[in-house]
Amino acid sequence: MKKLLNNWIVQVLLFLSLLGLTAYGSQMINDIIPPYFLMIAFFIGINLIMALGLNLITGVTGQLSLGHAAFMSIGAYSSAIATVNYDLPFLLGVLIGGLIASVFGVIIGFPTLRLTGDYLAIATLGFAEIVRVQFTNMKITNGAIGFLGIEGSTTFPIVMTIAVLTICLMVWLENSRNGRAMLAIREDEVASSAVGINTTLYKIQAFAIGAFCAGVGGALFAHTTTFIQPTDFGFQKSVDILSIVVLGGLGSIPGTIIGAIVLTAAPEILRPLSNYRMIVYGLLLVVIMIFRPYGLMGGVNLRQALRRAMMFPKKKQAGREE
Amino acid sequence: MFHKKRKSLVVMSVIMSALIMVSGCGASKPAATTPAADSKEPIKIGFLGAKTGDVAMYGLNTLKGLNMAVEELNKEGVLGRQVELVEEDNAGQKDQAINITNKLISQDKVAAIVGDPTTGITRVAGQIANSKKTVILSAGSTGMDVVEIGPYVFRDTLLDTIAAPATMKYVIQEKGWKNVALITSKNNDYSVSLSKIFSDAIDANGGKVVIEEFIQDKDTDFSGQITKIKSANPDVIVFSGYYTEGALIMKKAREVGIKAIMVGGDGLQGDDLMKIGGAAVEGSISYAGFSPEQPTPNTEKFINAYKAKYNNELPDLFAAQGYDALMLIAKAIKDANSADSEIFKDSLAKTKNYDGVSGSITFQENREPVKSPVYLLEVKDGKFALLKKVPVEIK
Amino acid sequence: MPILNNLMQQLVNGLALGSIYALIALGYTMVYGIIGMINFAYGEIFMFGAYAGLVLALTNYVNVYVALLGATFITMVLGVVIERVAYRPLRRSSRLSALISAIGVSFFLSSLMVRVKGPNTRGFPTLFENRIFEIGDFQITIYQIVIIGVAGLLMLSLHLFVTYSKMGRAMRACAQDQDAASLMGVNIDRVISVTFAIGSGLAGAAGVLAGIYFNAVQPYMGLLAGLKAFAAAVLGGIGSIPGAMIGGLVIGLTEILGVTVNLSEYKDAFAFAILILVLLFKPSGIMGRKANKKV
Repeated sequence: MKKLLNNWIVQVLLFLSLLGLTAYGSQMINDIIPPYFLMIAFFIGINLIMALGLNLITGVTGQLSLGHAAFMSIGAYSSAIATVNYDLPFLLGVLIGGLIASVFGVIIGFPTLRLTGDYLAIATLGFAEIVRVQFTNMKITNGAIGFLGIEGSTTFPIVMTIAVLTICLMVWLENSRNGRAMLAIREDEVASSAVGINTTLYKIQAFAIGAFCAGVGGALFAHTTTFIQPTDFGFQKSVDILSIVVLGGLGSIPGTIIGAIVLTAAPEILRPLSNYRMIVYGLLLVVIMIFRPYGLMGGVNLRQALRRAMMFPKKKQAGREE
Repeated sequence: MFHKKRKSLVVMSVIMSALIMVSGCGASKPAATTPAADSKEPIKIGFLGAKTGDVAMYGLNTLKGLNMAVEELNKEGVLGRQVELVEEDNAGQKDQAINITNKLISQDKVAAIVGDPTTGITRVAGQIANSKKTVILSAGSTGMDVVEIGPYVFRDTLLDTIAAPATMKYVIQEKGWKNVALITSKNNDYSVSLSKIFSDAIDANGGKVVIEEFIQDKDTDFSGQITKIKSANPDVIVFSGYYTEGALIMKKAREVGIKAIMVGGDGLQGDDLMKIGGAAVEGSISYAGFSPEQPTPNTEKFINAYKAKYNNELPDLFAAQGYDALMLIAKAIKDANSADSEIFKDSLAKTKNYDGVSGSITFQENREPVKSPVYLLEVKDGKFALLKKVPVEIK
Repeated sequence: MPILNNLMQQLVNGLALGSIYALIALGYTMVYGIIGMINFAYGEIFMFGAYAGLVLALTNYVNVYVALLGATFITMVLGVVIERVAYRPLRRSSRLSALISAIGVSFFLSSLMVRVKGPNTRGFPTLFENRIFEIGDFQITIYQIVIIGVAGLLMLSLHLFVTYSKMGRAMRACAQDQDAASLMGVNIDRVISVTFAIGSGLAGAAGVLAGIYFNAVQPYMGLLAGLKAFAAAVLGGIGSIPGAMIGGLVIGLTEILGVTVNLSEYKDAFAFAILILVLLFKPSGIMGRKANKKV
């Protein structure tokens, strides 16, 4: 059985059937559940895609980014321009959104060569502010008035399929040479460069992939709301996505999934408390950091969790040293 | 290490099951209540707006007006039923607004939605409400492409395309102030749209924009812009944003010795203009759908009741429009003798010369509101005073 | 020479604005210099100070000095409480956790203020009469003089305090090496509390002065001001007190000069552009010492 799972043909087949199952299942769900819950599931999916990207940058590679909303907005605007101004098909627009965001991810990734920790956090925040001001002043984005006339092409199966694809990509990455190098950078940058890891390359790689995810999420967002303004991508949005990653657990894919579900659904569940929501939210960040500084699921990885759930105990896995 | 992981798995499963339970409870609700069988059930009206976040100010003030309307309506009831407000907070975010609109319509089964005060969210929510055949009445949006969405989308604001040119005509031709300094709040969609209308009207009336400056909402330092404006020596300062920034700009302008007064849109309608600006905003000209000097009995009653309820605070434009929005809906429900959006949307669209507290409201054929007449107002002794009545043609 | 005259006037404007940033940056740089964490909630402490001043001023019994001192005191207590509750338990964990906790505090404080005082911008009562002095072709208001003066004074006294007092020496010791300082008998907890108290008090005073100068107090005023002040602190060289002052002035001047050359749309971006450039090309800032990476 174990051997069978390690065969790449089986893996590919499993992967494809997983995608098919997702598309089919989400189509069924799409037809059954009321629109209110469907839309929540929609945004859980979109937030999950973006959060997985940030998880790679911040959780896995350890580079704190407070500017994820900037990548999201770049993806949202460029995909909207692609589908509206150039009449490109929707999925191509999503890809373009992701790719352009990715290019900016590389550009902002370069400063990470020199910056660490808090400095990087503030620099990315500054980058996000500059992007927002730029979108406010551009003609093609229609400034503060907003970009109108985007088609609502995003469907639930598309969101879910892309989300599952992203999860698969991240799981694969986590267990690849690149993923291990990124983890090493988080744990000790100096040591990892000393053992010959090209820290520059992997950090930029993390930023490029993370930004790509954010761009795709932004593109899906734009084609869901059908109308975007620069104010949609403020600092608050970056913090929202960061909170998903932090709550779920830095570096943990199942954690990020749970974080996306909980934090996207939480405002809905907490509606009766809505007047105090932001106050509670702030307190929550503090309390989680104090009592579970690695998030609720810090250090748990998907394969281990699945293996345990499927009763395949494997003796030892290299987890996070706490 | 092992223990930690097991613990997180437990935490994870607890959260999962809690979520499933919560969503399960939510899902079972609509099945339990058969729609509108019991006519004694309250008529639910949804409120869509921000109660927290950057634009909370507009949402909260709209809500104050709405609560007054609910109180008043419930003295007699609408079709023998009480009116119940379902308040939700979208924090000024579109994804939240989408979820809330869906919730209001499919979970709470509201008869109509009042909101959002901003154009952007109204556009997004309007599409949902229109496709679900639920009336949405925005008490604040002024931008384009709102009522065009469809027959269920309304708004009760004063349209700038009519009032702003009338104001510029008065300023340039009657007052003879030809050299204009135009200030736009660049991150405020209302201001950006209005500035466009202002600048077209300035050109059309033979005026000239001698200097154009930009600020951002929530800015507090305007010294750089004001210094430049001073050296351009304009006859008048036209500002298209809201009262808070307007007051702060004028305070700074008076400090450096600029004598010109400020002219703006109905965004300047707010008691805070005078509270913050004090003597600096004396003489400022703006427009509104009502005259505080000769208020209709309705407006006067509203102002007094509002002051009594809210600690002597004066209602701003958002509060007045919020109040009117609900009253318009209630009237349409009464006229149609039905709280079903599909039915009363027609009687709402037929509203003519409704005596609202924010002005006399008529919906044109395309459902765009007209408030006629438009009143040009001037700040005099710390109060808005009538300057000129401008009649408006209704199509 | 209208352009030159304008330029002089704009320089005065820029100095006044820069002094506000500098005042906030002073506290920022102190806290960062000593415990090496960004107190993200710093802008909110500034906002709290402004509101405290507003509430005091509205009581009518209070003159400007009492309002200033009262707000300073209140924010000092607030700063110490925040440090105890939200930062101290995290001192040994990763910087990321501390920063996220600080973001949580920042959210908490600003939303709390929206609940308590409402989201509207509030005007500030006139605590003392504004006067305008004409010097040649340009003018300077007494508010501007007070702000520039107070910022300079506070910077000087802070510098003296840190350089010459016993507590100041302890602070500098902590900044260099906390463990070693603790071995030398420095009470780290106390030093950090005092640092937070002084830093937050400065933010509170800055809040009141900003309230008076801009005539506006608003629950979300802290975030952007705090971030720009951080940019100022980094520009000046984080940890350096004169550096914070210089950084603040440079950022204020850049913003106003940006407006002068018709770039007012981009005003909010200047501080961040400067920040990123400094971080890229001279991370130690104007006055900062070059930090060696410890392995």
